[in-house]
Amino acid sequence: MVRDDADQLPVEAAWWRDTASTCGLYVHVPFCETKCGYCDFYSVPLLEGRETGPLVRCVVSELRSRKRSASGAIRTIFVGGGTPTLLPLGDLRCLFDALGEVASGGEVSEFTVEANPATIDDAKLSVLTGAGVDRLSMGAQSWSVDELAQLERLHSPDDIAPGVLMARRHGIRRINLDLIFGIPGQTLASWSNSLDRTIALCVDHISCYGLTYEAGTRLTAQMGAGRVTRCDEELEADMYTHAIDRLAAAGYEQYEISNFARLGERCAHNVAYWRNDPYIGVGPSAAGYLNGERYKNVADIGRYVAGIEERGEAVLTRERVSGVALAGETIMMQLRQMEGLNVGRFTRQTGIDALSALAPELSRFSESGLLTVDRERIALTRAGFLVADGIISELYAALGESGRGDGSAGGGRAIR
Amino acid sequence: MADLQYIRNFSIIAHIDHGKSTLADRLLERTGTISKREMREQFLDDMDLEREMGITIKANRATVKHVHNGREHMLNLIDTPGHVDFHYEVSRAMAACEGVLLLVDATQGVQAQTVANAYLAVEANLDIILVINKIDLPSAHPDEVALEVEQILGLAAEDAVYTSAKTGEGLEKLLDAICEKIPPPRGRLDARLRALIYDAKPDPHRGVISHIRVVDGAVKRGDKIRMMAAGREHIVTEVGKYTPKPTTLNTLGAGEVGYLVAGIKTIADVNIGDTITIAQNPAEDQLPGYEPPSQMVFCDFYPGPGTETADLREAMERLWLNDSSFTYDPATSDALGIGFRCGFLGLLHMKIIQERLERESDVNLVQTAPTVTYEIALNDETVVHIQSPSEMPDPSRITEIREPFCTANVIIPAEYIGALMSLALDRRGVHKKTEYLSPTRVMITYEFPLGEIIYDFYDKLKSCTRGYGTVDYEVSEFRGGQLVKMDVLVNGIAVDALSVIVHRDKAARRGRNLITRLKKEIARHMFEIPLQAAIGAKVIARETIKAYRKNVTAKCYGGDVSRKRKLLEKQKEGKKRMKNVGNVEIPQEAFMSILDPGD
Ligand SMILES: Nc1nc2c(ncn2[C@@H]2O[C@H](COP(=O)(O)OP(=O)(O)OP(=O)(O)O)[C@@H](O)[C@H]2O)c(=O)[nH]1
Ligand code: SF4
Ligand SMILES: [Mg+2]
Repeated sequence: MVRDDADQLPVEAAWWRDTASTCGLYVHVPFCETKCGYCDFYSVPLLEGRETGPLVRCVVSELRSRKRSASGAIRTIFVGGGTPTLLPLGDLRCLFDALGEVASGGEVSEFTVEANPATIDDAKLSVLTGAGVDRLSMGAQSWSVDELAQLERLHSPDDIAPGVLMARRHGIRRINLDLIFGIPGQTLASWSNSLDRTIALCVDHISCYGLTYEAGTRLTAQMGAGRVTRCDEELEADMYTHAIDRLAAAGYEQYEISNFARLGERCAHNVAYWRNDPYIGVGPSAAGYLNGERYKNVADIGRYVAGIEERGEAVLTRERVSGVALAGETIMMQLRQMEGLNVGRFTRQTGIDALSALAPELSRFSESGLLTVDRERIALTRAGFLVADGIISELYAALGESGRGDGSAGGGRAIR
Repeated sequence: MADLQYIRNFSIIAHIDHGKSTLADRLLERTGTISKREMREQFLDDMDLEREMGITIKANRATVKHVHNGREHMLNLIDTPGHVDFHYEVSRAMAACEGVLLLVDATQGVQAQTVANAYLAVEANLDIILVINKIDLPSAHPDEVALEVEQILGLAAEDAVYTSAKTGEGLEKLLDAICEKIPPPRGRLDARLRALIYDAKPDPHRGVISHIRVVDGAVKRGDKIRMMAAGREHIVTEVGKYTPKPTTLNTLGAGEVGYLVAGIKTIADVNIGDTITIAQNPAEDQLPGYEPPSQMVFCDFYPGPGTETADLREAMERLWLNDSSFTYDPATSDALGIGFRCGFLGLLHMKIIQERLERESDVNLVQTAPTVTYEIALNDETVVHIQSPSEMPDPSRITEIREPFCTANVIIPAEYIGALMSLALDRRGVHKKTEYLSPTRVMITYEFPLGEIIYDFYDKLKSCTRGYGTVDYEVSEFRGGQLVKMDVLVNGIAVDALSVIVHRDKAARRGRNLITRLKKEIARHMFEIPLQAAIGAKVIARETIKAYRKNVTAKCYGGDVSRKRKLLEKQKEGKKRMKNVGNVEIPQEAFMSILDPGD
């Protein structure tokens, strides 16, 4: 596989490059062993005897037809879910054969698969690497037995290192481990331990997610019923800042709110999302962004399969995003990155001059030390990172006010 | 035309919930006015809100017929509200009557509004029939209750009529007593017309319907009448009586009570208490009339989310034409925009008007905390009255701030005297006298600053007397006091709609409570928000709302960008419902948090 050096340029240079005719590909595999209590991704437990074949065939068929209609070359592939590596070997092979075709063109520079420790074995890894997979993102989450139980994860801390080593044996050099902090009952010491043990594995990428209480999840219901006590905000903040410092000391640079990477090891696929680059999404609940239009597939295996089989697609909503809505999205995505928002590019993409449209808010936030603002760039400071949601929410609200932005307020236009 | 000899006009008066409306039901039923089938509880309470709350808000009238000593008598009854806020309705009703039924609950005995309403009847020179009601209840002790009335009001206990408005027991006796003890109306049928307008209500088809009591002469369809005070003239298109449905008659003569329709378009054109006479042959003197109801509690209504000031104005106008017992004037607030300063007869009245506005006109309101009127003496020797702390003149111009006082009668079981005394002390009450109604119950008279008792005194009294205490008050005069304006600063900016006028001695506690509650209402922000209560430049209480330490969601939901954007859209809508003062988003509830003095 050929690596495109543009994506491996020093950060600043890559960031300045405008969107080229490149495209990402996201594949959603909606199966898990059991459903974790905090999870609100679309996935269903893979019960004994459940057929995954029809779904996989539909995903492959959607992939082929979408790839034909996409304009740019596919540069990054990300297979997530769900737990893709849970697919039985035959179906796994079927899916990755198709993906291998895409990757074989030589233009793909990053090919990531999500996996859970203890769901990979030599046979499956061979299928992945055979298709060109060069990056594995593993849900380690925690190194504490109790915390993994609280999260309702099925693996044990002892599965993590062997999983990483096995992947390396198969030649997968780039590995990300996901960690979660703010777990009920978690202490700063235990969080620190999880970080240390993860760093000790010398993976090149670490994601640290604060546990979120999503509407409709079991965890949120348990909290509502008083059976789970949410982690104290102060403690969670301490965990977060500790992670930033600890990872920096170990050579991981924070390049996004939750993402840390060794030099040159940023996840190009995610970076493309945050840059507003186009991407294809296939599979149930997958979202895509092509030619200025966002679409989202139906989050239901049965309806997805029926849609693909009958009409060749299973889109639930489409939305053409422009004006204030596009500006809002852009702010929301780009401010999350360390490099922040490129003022000139923002104007080119949205037609809005951020510096004047948001002048009062920008000066207020920079005075209070939450943003750095200059003529070319708006970015969160370290203090700003901690309260990014609040800042983004205010900037977003300010954009829609009359007389600001381009006046064509009201969000995206629903097409169907 | 009816023979005056056989007409009786009376009101039913009592403390709240003693059974006036239920007794009216039995009277309608027993006299065959309403059939059992048509009957429903508190038949005369026809407003939705009255039915929901189970209380009478507007006085209602009905005419029933009863044969006494072989002669058919026409009984015009008016059911009145018991709640203190609606005393003026009772006074108006009495002006159309020669007598009253004073109802007392046989289980509860004399209560504060029993006394207040009885005094009104005595002042109006009406004959009083004492009715001890609810005798069907096991806990009834009618003889003792009758003695209490004798003790405190001087009405002979032996003349009391015992009834159950539930079972109808005692109703025959009561009907006979009405015919025998209440004098027929006096009035000269041959004199020039004088009729008192004691109430009026709008009707979508016929214009305003005036409720009148004919004192002299007679009025009939086709007459050209003149409103003596207003000077306007109208042609009568209909006269009639409520039986209780409106029933057209040829003529209403001296002594009779009924309604009159005369092509009057809006309520604003009718002065309640005005005298109607015949235009071509007018009477010389007007009837005494009434004092207009006086508003005692004021608060501002501002348009809430989705409501424009113009919508609110329209809603106010519409309601006012239906019920002119409240006032409204334009008001502006830095924090809340353009709205209206409204005056009410009391707190219940305020809540009812607010509820009716929202319900009948579908508007959203932001309401500020209620306040009383203050009288401010200025150093240029002038005096101003303010109905909002924000109208307070600059302190350097003020020589004295005066607050309204009232005389309050509190009736409680004697064992709670101690509890009442400490409550009264806390509310700056001055004890006037104590009278025993019976060996176990007392009526204690205090003078209170109105502002100390109008908001929550009743609830506090109830809780410190296990629900047995009742209170009635009457406003007397303005008196100077150690009053100060307390400002509330949010993030260093004084929020006009949060200012209050308080007694200097209570300012510190009030300020602390207010700030504490405000802290609960305002969400954390990205920066620290100081909250301060201050008198002039002196801060008397402070709290800080800590900044968010962490407010950031981790995941970006893969590529599902729309989903995240929708979340932001929602937050944006939420922000619209808040008032932004000095970059702090203040939810509407916060403006009400000063309502409850919270001690
Ligand atoms: N047992 C019993 N209950 C009664 C009697 N009279 C009234 N009630 C009940 O007492 C409650 C209050 O009765 P109302 O007739 O609404 O009282 P009211 O005096 O008109 O009250 P306001 O209009 O609010 O001042 C109702 O629940 C009635 O059913 C009675 O003689 N016996
Ligand atoms: S394994 Fe991942 S996708 Fe599956 S339920 Fe757990 S958190 Fe959700
Ligand atoms: Mg009633």
